[in-house]
Amino acid sequence: MDKYYRLNKPECREFIAGLASKYKVVAPVKKGEKNYVFSEISSPDEIASGYIPTIIPPKKYFFPKRETLIEYDIRAQRQKAVMEYEKLIIFGVRTCDLAGIQCLNMVFSERPRDVNYLIRKNKLIIIGMECWDYCDEHAICGLMDNHQPKGGYDLFFSDMGDFHLIHVNTLVGEEIINSVGVFSPADEKDLEKLEKFRERKRKAFKTSMGVSHQQLKDIFADAEDAKVWEDLGERCLSCGNCTTVCPTCYCFDVIDEINLDFKTGERFRIWDSCQNEDFAKVAGGESFREERKGRQMHRYMRKFKYPLKKYSRYFCTGCGRCSRACMADIRIKETIQEVIKEKGLSNEKAGIS
Amino acid sequence: MKKVKVAFFDFSCCEGCQLQVANIGDLLLDILEKIELVEFREVMSERGGDYDVAVVEGSITTEHDVKRIKGIREKAKVLIAYGSCACTGGVNGMKNNFDLEDVKKYVYRDKSDWFNTVPTMAVDQVVKVDYYVNGCPVYPPEFVRVLKCALRGMPYKVPDYAVCVECKFNENECMYDKGVTCLGPITRAGCNSWCTNNGNICYGCRGMVSNPNKNGQKEVLKKYNIPLDWIVNKFNMYNKAKESQQV
Ligand code: SF4
Ligand code: SF4
Ligand code: SF4
Ligand code: SF4
Ligand code: SF4
Repeated sequence: MDKYYRLNKPECREFIAGLASKYKVVAPVKKGEKNYVFSEISSPDEIASGYIPTIIPPKKYFFPKRETLIEYDIRAQRQKAVMEYEKLIIFGVRTCDLAGIQCLNMVFSERPRDVNYLIRKNKLIIIGMECWDYCDEHAICGLMDNHQPKGGYDLFFSDMGDFHLIHVNTLVGEEIINSVGVFSPADEKDLEKLEKFRERKRKAFKTSMGVSHQQLKDIFADAEDAKVWEDLGERCLSCGNCTTVCPTCYCFDVIDEINLDFKTGERFRIWDSCQNEDFAKVAGGESFREERKGRQMHRYMRKFKYPLKKYSRYFCTGCGRCSRACMADIRIKETIQEVIKEKGLSNEKAGIS
Repeated sequence: MKKVKVAFFDFSCCEGCQLQVANIGDLLLDILEKIELVEFREVMSERGGDYDVAVVEGSITTEHDVKRIKGIREKAKVLIAYGSCACTGGVNGMKNNFDLEDVKKYVYRDKSDWFNTVPTMAVDQVVKVDYYVNGCPVYPPEFVRVLKCALRGMPYKVPDYAVCVECKFNENECMYDKGVTCLGPITRAGCNSWCTNNGNICYGCRGMVSNPNKNGQKEVLKKYNIPLDWIVNKFNMYNKAKESQQV
């Protein structure tokens, strides 16, 4: 049976402080007026309350924005594979971001496997945190069915008012519970309360998008020729914000850089994305995706169509980051609405025969 | 390895970019193992002699400048345009918004006849440029990168994506979230979003990306109730001299 513990609110501080004294802990902290970032904490007071998705998702710990792969020495014709990792507890990961990590896990586990990613992933301990309501108007986790916990964590916290209910999902999670002795086993009543909260949550996360989770793939099945891409292409500045902040964007560039001794150097990878001008350029300067509208179309198809074939799941977690980060007000909700309007939910698509 | 002779020259500019050399830090000593400085007005007095690499700062604004830069180009095996003024014309390009005679009178008053002036030009509008170090001022780590390429005869590619990409890497709160406008979306990266990291907006000092969506950017700025001529000024501050990039 699933294991649950309870942690009274006053003891929660003790728990975090205990964790931080034993491990390196990162959690959402406030940045500026409206933003949050995952960053190292040493005391529970630093953790933001009521945070919305951070500027960059926790993918930065799994797949760093810049990562050395190889160090080389030209004289000796030697090269050494580099792996940088550390044990880290990521506290306060929302269900949308848990889904994002699950997507990346699938991508980087494909053969040839990405050893750097997989080794690092094993060192990371994830503590999830439940949302009881939409974080803001940009979130579409309900539509993407990522508002409920579906694994991908070691421990998962649900705020029950005067206490937290904690689901233990892995042995590592169990060890943490045992090592900081402030938990007590949850009883029947606690679990009933959780069920009640979840019932209420199902209502709170009902989508008003006029399309269901399943139907979404049908409206995007032939959306390549939709006119909405032209409109997005005219408005988009190609700033790259939407893809840089997306928890399921995993593209990177590989660059060699030599040191000033002109003998030794390193090869590193750095995040790159389909919105950047050079991304689809090949030798000779030819670009496969010269126009902005094509790049925008690609971005959406990469979330709602292509991965279904390959990974049998959408690659949009519903976190809403792309909408928040776009100064041109290109909003994922509106784009989906436009595609529905154009492509329509035919009877067949709507599941009525 | 024989040391490569490097000479710094300045044209119309504030020489602030040359001062950035001092901010390179530890790597400067490693650089000086590879190069011999034969001309550098900011820190040394002796002049003359041969050079392999010419690092040119400043924009071309007089007929005398035109002659002088052509001479430098002839002597140099490699020419590096250094700083916004050299790469794009920089703020000096704002001169091109006005009638040249008016500009002369405004600056030199009754002595204006003593001076000649031509429209501001980036160095590559007069001679061939091999490498560009954009920025006002230049970002020292990028200069080191360019220098390494130049000394090895390798190409250096100025990033052609937006400053926003670096700004997001650095997880800065976006200026637009603070209700402030910023030229990051259409400006070439490579400075590690230096200004926005320090709480300033991006002024676009590195010049625009090769394919900027200017109409899109104007639409975005309009939402902030900025009058059109301000918007044009924002674009022109660093980009006026390059007629091809003019708004
Ligand atoms: S954030 Fe907006 S403007 Fe920037 S690339 Fe994405 S859609 Fe275009
Ligand atoms: S597409 Fe947008 S909403 Fe979906 S996962 Fe990416 S950033 Fe989040
Ligand atoms: S997008 Fe959904 S799961 Fe993610 S933080 Fe917002 S409400 Fe929570
Ligand atoms: S602050 Fe400026 S550079 Fe940074 S993301 Fe926003 S618009 Fe782009
Ligand atoms: S942030 Fe903008 S203004 Fe500042 S150095 Fe970079 S390009 Fe220049």
